Formats: sequence, C-alpha cells, structure tokens
Amino acid sequence: MGSRASTLLREEEIEEIKKETGFSHSQITRLYSRFTSLDKGENGTLSREDFQRIPELAINPLGDRIINAFFPEGEDQVNFRGFMRTLAHFRPIEDNEKSKNAAVSEPLNSRTNKLMFAFQLYDLDRDDKISRDELLQVLRMMVGVNISDEQLGSIADRTIQEADTNGDNSISFNEFIKVLEKVDVEQKMSIRFLH
Amino acid sequence: MAELRPARCWRTGFFFCLWLLLFLSVASGSLVVVSGSNETSGGPAGDTPEDPHHQTNSTTHKKAFPVLSFNYQDVRKPFVISLWILLALLMKLGFHIIPNISNVVPESCLLIGVGLLVGGIIKAIGEEAPVLDTKLFFHYLLPPIILDAGYFLPIQAFMENMGTILVFAVVGTLWNVFFIGGMIFAVCQIEGVQLAGVDLLSCLLFGSIVSAVDPVAVLAVFEEIQINELLHILVFGESLLNDAVTVVLYHLFEEFSHAGTVTVLDGVLGIVCFFVVSLGGVLVGAIYGLLGAFTSRFTTHTRVIEPLFVFLYSYMAYLSAEVFHLSGIMSLIACGVIMRPYVEANVSHKSYTTIKYFLKMWSSVSETLIFIFLGVSTVAGPHAWNWTFVISTVILCLVSRVLGVIGLTCIINKFRIVKLTKKDQFIVAYGGLRGAIAFSLGFLLTDNERKNMFLTAIITVIFFTVFVQGMTIRPLVELLAVKKKKESKPSINEEIHTQFLGHLLTGIEDICGHYGHHHWKDKLNRFNKAYLKKWLIAGERSTEPQLISFYNKMEMKQAMMLVESGSAAKLPSVLSSVSMQNIQQRGSGNRRAIPSISKSREQEIRKILRSNLQKTRQRLRSYSRHDLMIDPFEDNVSEVRFRKQRVEMERRMSHYLTVPTNRQESPSVRKVCFEPEHQVFTYDNSESPRDPRARPDPGPLDAISLVSESQGPNQSREPRAKVPKEQEEQDQLKLSRCLSDPGPNQEEDLS
Repeated sequence: MGSRASTLLREEEIEEIKKETGFSHSQITRLYSRFTSLDKGENGTLSREDFQRIPELAINPLGDRIINAFFPEGEDQVNFRGFMRTLAHFRPIEDNEKSKNAAVSEPLNSRTNKLMFAFQLYDLDRDDKISRDELLQVLRMMVGVNISDEQLGSIADRTIQEADTNGDNSISFNEFIKVLEKVDVEQKMSIRFLH
Repeated sequence: MAELRPARCWRTGFFFCLWLLLFLSVASGSLVVVSGSNETSGGPAGDTPEDPHHQTNSTTHKKAFPVLSFNYQDVRKPFVISLWILLALLMKLGFHIIPNISNVVPESCLLIGVGLLVGGIIKAIGEEAPVLDTKLFFHYLLPPIILDAGYFLPIQAFMENMGTILVFAVVGTLWNVFFIGGMIFAVCQIEGVQLAGVDLLSCLLFGSIVSAVDPVAVLAVFEEIQINELLHILVFGESLLNDAVTVVLYHLFEEFSHAGTVTVLDGVLGIVCFFVVSLGGVLVGAIYGLLGAFTSRFTTHTRVIEPLFVFLYSYMAYLSAEVFHLSGIMSLIACGVIMRPYVEANVSHKSYTTIKYFLKMWSSVSETLIFIFLGVSTVAGPHAWNWTFVISTVILCLVSRVLGVIGLTCIINKFRIVKLTKKDQFIVAYGGLRGAIAFSLGFLLTDNERKNMFLTAIITVIFFTVFVQGMTIRPLVELLAVKKKKESKPSINEEIHTQFLGHLLTGIEDICGHYGHHHWKDKLNRFNKAYLKKWLIAGERSTEPQLISFYNKMEMKQAMMLVESGSAAKLPSVLSSVSMQNIQQRGSGNRRAIPSISKSREQEIRKILRSNLQKTRQRLRSYSRHDLMIDPFEDNVSEVRFRKQRVEMERRMSHYLTVPTNRQESPSVRKVCFEPEHQVFTYDNSESPRDPRARPDPGPLDAISLVSESQGPNQSREPRAKVPKEQEEQDQLKLSRCLSDPGPNQEEDLS
C-alpha cells in the first residue's frame, strides 16, 4: 500500500492537478484518501459499482446520472485525475480568481462551466439541447411515481415554454443560462472544501 | 388647474378632520389619565359639561324618561384606545397623501415626530401623558410585529446564512455590550463629569440595554429601502436572534447589581442560561408550531376560524416562553416558521389571504403605535441630561458597531462561499438601529438612581439612529449602488433547476464523504416527507411533491390574475404558459363573434349549461352570520373539485384522443368548430406534439379549446388555466364536447 501510494500521488502529479483544477495541496491529499477508500478493487481507478456502494447515492433521484458524469465517454473506469477534474466544477469561485485573466481557458469552476456541467446532466444525448423528453425524464425522477404523465407533461411544456426564446421547443444552453441568471449559482453549486 | 382644486379641497378637508381628531384624542387622553388616577373626579368632569338635561332631570321629583343620555364612563377605555389607534392610522395615511415627504423621511421618523407633537400638546395643557408602558409594549404591541416577521421569514436565505447571522447576533452583541459598558465606565471615571457614582455593573447593564439591534426599527427602515435579500436577512436575522443574548445579559446584570458581587460560578451559570434561554425558546415555539399545524389538519369543515388558530397558537407560544423567562421572540419566530408550510397546505385560499392580511395589518398598527408612543414618552418622561454621558454613549454605540462588524466579517469571510464585501459590511454596520425595545427595557429598571440618566441616553441613541441613520440610509444605498431587491415572478424553471441542483450537490457531497449543508438539508427534507407531512397535512396533499404544489400554486395565481384582469385580451405579454399562448390578442370585435353552429348543437349546450348551473345553486345552505358567503363558483370545496375534475378531464381527453384517429378527419368535427376558418390538424401520435404547425391561429377561446382536441395532448391542458368562475361551466361544456364530439352523430341520432 505504501509503495503504491507513493507512485500514485507523486509531487508532480499533485502539482499538475493543482494547476488544472485549482485545488490546494491539502484538499488534494484529502480527496485522494477518499478516492482510495472508495476504490475497493485497489487498482487505482473507480468503477460504477464503487460509486453505487455509497448508500446515500442510492436514494438520490439523480444518483445514476451523477455517477455517469464522472466517467468520460464510453469508459468504465475513472482515475484520480478524472475524479478531480469532475469535482473541480464544484469548487467555490474565489474573488482573486475573478480578477485573474483566464490563463489558458476558463477555470473549471467558473459559472459557465458549472452550468455546463448541470446542463450535460439533463442533456444525455449531447445534442446541446434539452428536449421535452429529457426534461420529462428528469422530472419523473425527481417527482416520483405518484404523479400522472399528463400533469408532468404539462409542467414540462410550461417549463420549455418559459425558457424557449428561439422557438425550437427545447432549451439550449444559452436559454438555460438566461433562465438561471437570477439564481445564485456560485453559491448553489459550490461545496465548501475548505476547513 | 381645475383638477387640482378638488384634490386640494379634499386634502385640506382631510387635514382639518385630522387636527380635530388630534385635539379630541388629546382631550380624552387627558381625561383618561385624570380619571385613571382619580376615578370619581373623572366621571362628573366628563359628564357635567355635556349633559345639563340629566342634571336638571334629577332635581325634579320624578325622572322623565331620558331620551338622550350621556354616559362616557362606561366606554371610556375602549373609546380612548380606539381613538388613539385611529389617530395613529390617520397620521400614517396623511403621510402618504402629502407628496414627496415619504421619499425623504422614513415613516418611523414622521411618526415619532407626531408623537413628540402630541406629547408636547398634552404637556402644554398640563396633563399627564400616557407613557409607553412596558407591559403594554411587550405583551400587546411587540408580538404582532415579530409574528409577521417570523411567519414570512424567507427560510432559504435565513438557513443559508444562519452561521453568519448567529455570529453577528451572539458574538456581535456580546462585543457591543462589553465594549460600551466598559468604555462608559471608563468615561465615568474621568474627573469632573459628576458621574462617579456609576459602578461597573450599572454600566454593563446599561450597555446590555442599549447595544441590541432592534427588529422593529430595522423592519421599519429596511422595508422602505428595498435592499437585496442577503443584507436584509443579515441585519434582520441578527435583530431577531440577539433577543436571547439581550434577555440573558439584562437579567444577569440586574441580578448581579442587586447581589453586589460576581463569582466565576455566576459567569458559568450565565453562559448555561444563555443556551437554555435560546434553545428553550425555540423548543417552546416548535411545540406550539407543531400543535398548530396538527390542528389545521382538521379544519376542513370550519374554515372560518382557521386564521385564529395560527394567531392564538403563536401568541400562546410567546406568552409561554415569557412565563419561563425564555426568549419570547425566538419562540414566536420558531412557531411561525414551523407552522407555516403545513398550515398553508391545509387551509383554504381565503384563510391564507386572511392570515396574511391580518398579520400585516396588526403589525402595521403596532409599529405605528410604538413610534408615536415613543415620541410621547420622550416628552413626558423625567429626564436627567448629562452631556458627557449622552454624547459618549452615542459615539461609543457607533464606534463599537463599526468595529464589531468589521472584525467579525474578517472571521466570517473565511467560512463563507459568497464573501461579504466592504459595501455589505457598511450597510450591516449602518443598519444597526436601536428602537423601542431598548427604551422599554430601560423603563423596567428598578431602584437604580441613575435610571433617568440612562433613559435619557437611551432615548437619544434611539433618536439618533432612527432619525439620522434612518434618513440617510436611503441616499447612501443609492450612492453606493448597493444591489436592490430583485423583482422576480415565480418561475417554474428556477424551481425545477434549483431542486435539480440541490440533488446534484447532495450527491457530490456524498461522493466526497463531506457532510455539508446540502446533506443535512436533504436529510431534513426526507424526514419531513416521511413523518411530518403524513401527520400534519390533511388528505391527499400530504404526498404531493414540492414541485407539484409549486406548479399548482402558479397555475392558480395565473387563473386568478385572469379573473381580475377581466378579459383575456389584456394579458398577452404577461403570462407565458402553454394554455395562455392560445389566448392571444385579437381585435375586440372578433372576440365576441357569434359562432356559427347548428341550432341543435346550441340547444344541447344550453341544456347542459342550465342543468349544471341549477345543480350548483342547490348547494347553497341556509344563511348564517358565521358562514362565509358561499359563492356557487368559488366555495371552498371547489379547489379540491377543481383538481379532481382536471385530472378527470385529462383522463377523458387522453382517452378520446388516443381513440382511433380517423374520426378526426371527419367533417363532423368541423361542424362543431366555432371558428370556421380554423384548420383541422391531424392528430400526431409522436412524442413531439408541439409541432410548429400546431400553433393555432388566434381565435376565440371557445374555438381554440374545441379544435384543440384534434391536436396533441399539450392543448388538453387548457381547462386548467381557465377562469375559476367559469371553471365548472367550461368543464361541463368540455366534458360534454368530449363526450359528444367523437361521435356527434350519435347524439344527433339520439335527439
């Protein structure tokens, strides 16, 4: 265990993760220990079963989708880098970062990227639009089984109608951003990793 | 010019009445005071000038039957109270009639000014003015304001900022008390200010009275400047929660100043007492809140008294907490907060409106009276002015507030996601107003030789904060461009996405193994759904997910708006919903176009309408003073029926729509179409019924809804957004259409 730990979490790797995600040293080490505790197979990667073993995720209506969000297209295993990359979306936006000019691209936890992450959880077929069906699926997951299809359908229609500005009966990413402009996304989509 | 004159006439007439009433109240007020102290002398004094008849009659041998008699004594007390309240409210009215004044001067200042004036008049007459009695204040005037604030507290914002609010309330108040108390003691030690007799404990006691931010004053001022929600909830939340600290410290120091010595044990007990007072208050409030929620579950048959339960349980919570010297304010807030979601799910819409308006009304009256009495008491009360003491108090209050806020924010910002900026800090510091609670607590001081001096200083601080800070905060807010409150319509998108994000964040937190804010909120929601809702909410609504109730509420609101606006043509841009999109603007002439339908069809419709209207009329019960007027279209049962019918309707609609489509192309459909030029669309069974072609031409309400049956299921939701008044009529109509349309031939055959 000791030797593997040292090979998997070298200083250079920590530095790279730091640069990519913006996490601090202590946060990275802490999350690494969480990663290893989830990694029952001890092969340095997590599979879907590892995630599903977390009890609270099983009762979360969006559990499956969240798990899928960690795995890149078509793959079944996620390594620590990928794990951190996904979690980086939820880092709180710091004031000093706002003023800093984006080095290469926008930091992973910018408002737009946070919203993009959420958008992709709706938009499973990755066509950059939330169609009525996709919306209905999410609604059905959140609301449970007691509500009739027609009622859900009407809610979905109304939602699309409210958000849709270009008349294509689906919600594009820009419309999604616009609808949430009054919501304090920075606060709602951030987890306090700082202790 | 001609228009202005009548308006001005009315205004001058109004003010004349106002002054007359003012004089009357002063006169009767003085009568009360005089009578209060001397029962017998008041009577004849009131009687004699007014009624010579009575006197002369009594001297004759037989008393003639008194046609008109004067007996002021019996109704004196309620009369005077009502007169004072009436005066206060007329003043409030007057301020809003005078143009421009309410923009510059906050209402609280004006009311204090009026109080000063009235107090001055009373004093000039030579009578004793009514003072802001502590019992009156704490038992009658304060609870409505706190209940109003607590019941409508924005829970989300409050919970999210709970940590910050607690730090400001507890640590901030403690800092204020000790800083002010200590520094005042230091000032008193200075030679030559004649303040040598004031010991440390008295100073600390004084500090504890004067340092608490007052919810009444904060509400009064912040309501008018419409500041953004975060700042509002920070200052307001602080003013509510610091009550526990104030109560404990006040009693603590009062006990100590009698006892004389302080030991470590006393200090520890004090800290324990703080926890007992605050948590005990919350517990008492929670118990009453749950009781109130539980009671509201059974009120389906006695809707009229529903609001009373809310008020009485809350008031009992307040009084029960006061019995044990717990924090009454926290108890009241806890009661309102806990009771609200369940009560709102259970009570009728009318009761909800009643509760809302009664709370607002009472709190408004209370606030007005408090400020006026504050003014009157200022003029009346015995004063002992000491320049040094007063000036240093004012300065120290300001300084300690600023230092406290800055210092605490540095610590708090380390733990906040959204940090507090300098502007925020300034507003929080500047918004720390003192008010009537400080005055009443000061009034409660017993056998303290410096009581008058303390009172004078407290009043000066109150006046300074309310007048100077209250008046200048609005221009400062403008100057600093502080974010204002965002006006936002309820949006189903925001609701859905916020819930979505909530679930998402809970999941992420679980993956990280981090038990944070979302995790506990989710646990609380689960507990709520599993246990509390089952017990506390009546009927089928106990299992309704939050999203659905939100959606229903929105639809209901829109339907109400439709009723109020009167005609569909007036609200094209405001509403945006599936059903509303069909009700678009049209030339007024066309809306009333008489549909061209066959005679027999018309007969049928008329028959159906008539029979249904008759049915509803039969439901009227016998008249009773305690029944709310049972309107055939709007009785309390209609909401549930509304929902049930809607579900019923949709089931029928979808049934008939999924029945083989060939019928849709038959000309019989066209026959019942009210708008002849409307196209008939083939029913598209695919999953995306919102085909751009499917968007109908603007047409009369009837036409759209009728032909919509041939379109996708999206149109079938039309009935829900209809005017509730016509709801039943429409539903029956649609039902009959549904029943008859797919086979109108059958009907005609039968008839």
